[in-house]
Amino acid sequence: MRTSADARTASTVIGEEFADLLAAAQGGSEAAFSRLWRNANPALLRYLRVIAPGADEDIAAETWVHVVRGLASFRGDEQAWRAWLFTTARRRAIDLARHRSRRPETALDYATVAQLPSSADSAEAAMENLSTAAAIALLAGLPRLQAEVILLRVVAGLDTESVARMLRKSPGAVRVAAHRGLRRLAQITADAGVTL
Amino acid sequence: MPNIPQPQRQDEPVVTDADLAALLAGTTDAAPGLRPVADVLAALTAEPTGMELAGEAGALAEFRRQAGAQVPAQRPRRSSGLRSRFGVKVGASVTAVAVVLGGGAVAAFANVLPAPIQRLAHEAIGAPIPPARHHSPSHSRTAAPGRSGVHGKPPARGGPGASRQARPHATPTPAAHGNPQSQGKKGNPPGKGNGKGGQGQGNSQGQGNSQGHHGSGQGQGNSQGKGNGQGQQGKAPHGPAQQGNPHKKGPHGSAQANGRPAGHPRRSVHPRPVMDP
Repeated sequence: MRTSADARTASTVIGEEFADLLAAAQGGSEAAFSRLWRNANPALLRYLRVIAPGADEDIAAETWVHVVRGLASFRGDEQAWRAWLFTTARRRAIDLARHRSRRPETALDYATVAQLPSSADSAEAAMENLSTAAAIALLAGLPRLQAEVILLRVVAGLDTESVARMLRKSPGAVRVAAHRGLRRLAQITADAGVTL
Repeated sequence: MPNIPQPQRQDEPVVTDADLAALLAGTTDAAPGLRPVADVLAALTAEPTGMELAGEAGALAEFRRQAGAQVPAQRPRRSSGLRSRFGVKVGASVTAVAVVLGGGAVAAFANVLPAPIQRLAHEAIGAPIPPARHHSPSHSRTAAPGRSGVHGKPPARGGPGASRQARPHATPTPAAHGNPQSQGKKGNPPGKGNGKGGQGQGNSQGQGNSQGHHGSGQGQGNSQGKGNGQGQQGKAPHGPAQQGNPHKKGPHGSAQANGRPAGHPRRSVHPRPVMDP
């Protein structure tokens, strides 16, 4: 029987094909790079929506520019590839947070919701994203470290050691933070009767 | 404050760390109490939406731009950079070496280097010999070689190595010797001698060799003796020709009186008798 967790693993990890894809992308194959991008970008955006809400798409775009520039010199397996990608995104998010703290932006209070740009399929996209958006909102309610550890473990597909290196924590601290976050998430869903 | 354990709620399933680890690993079915959490995690990893893939065109454009820029441009840029850096380094090194050697040579010929270095320069490139140090104030360091008169010892050539040092410079040149006959054809006025005799300076080293043992200067005696010899070839009267008498400066100045190559040490010790016209 194939569980939801198995489906999650299958959707986030490329697997044995990764080495060939990476080599082809480093050789200039757009198709290979497109495959890598389509595999990683949704997870990247979901991670950034929690740690840098409102700037997720900009940071993701900057991250890919950085990755494309360093793609030819990258060496490593899929785990290292994802660690590099999410580490780059995390650093961009931290830089943006520092920049915003130095230069606070003024709110566009003169622009109403009706004046904001919209597309014809906005409602459809909202319905499509509902469950994912709700899950991200639940994660965003957790303490920052717990939410980030769960996202990196589940969404990015990184192991405990990679997350520990990325967050500069010990593997034990990462494990404890993940368990606490999951327990808290279980408590929240049980108390609120959340159904996705 | 005592740690009072909270009673377990009846409807709350027990969640162990192993269950959480399995949930994170995504390899086993979730425990009954973690099913809502498993659904949340599954929603986090759901299939990508159209909005999440909307930036693919921009990423591909950046990839295309980088891929086009990387392949042809990187290697030549690196090699040319290395070449230019290497050229700059070589040029700077050559310039530095040239400046150091040139400055050292100038300093050596100006005789301003310290005595040991000056002596090395003398042996290597023929720079002037360093002056000898005298503790007596009357024989100061500024006394030029060959001008010290009777007491002026040639600093190095008066020593044991004098003959060896004088030898390379003893080869006469035509300009230094002068042609005795041509000098005579000029018809120098009698009584004046040949003033040009003083220009025959190329033989100063050979002269120095012979004079060094006698404690007299080098260059002066040689030029004086040269003038004397030319006066004789020009049939000048004996008296005025003695204006350039080398005896004024050195005892062996007469060795040049014959118009012989002044640097010839063998001839210099056998002067010809002066012919009376």
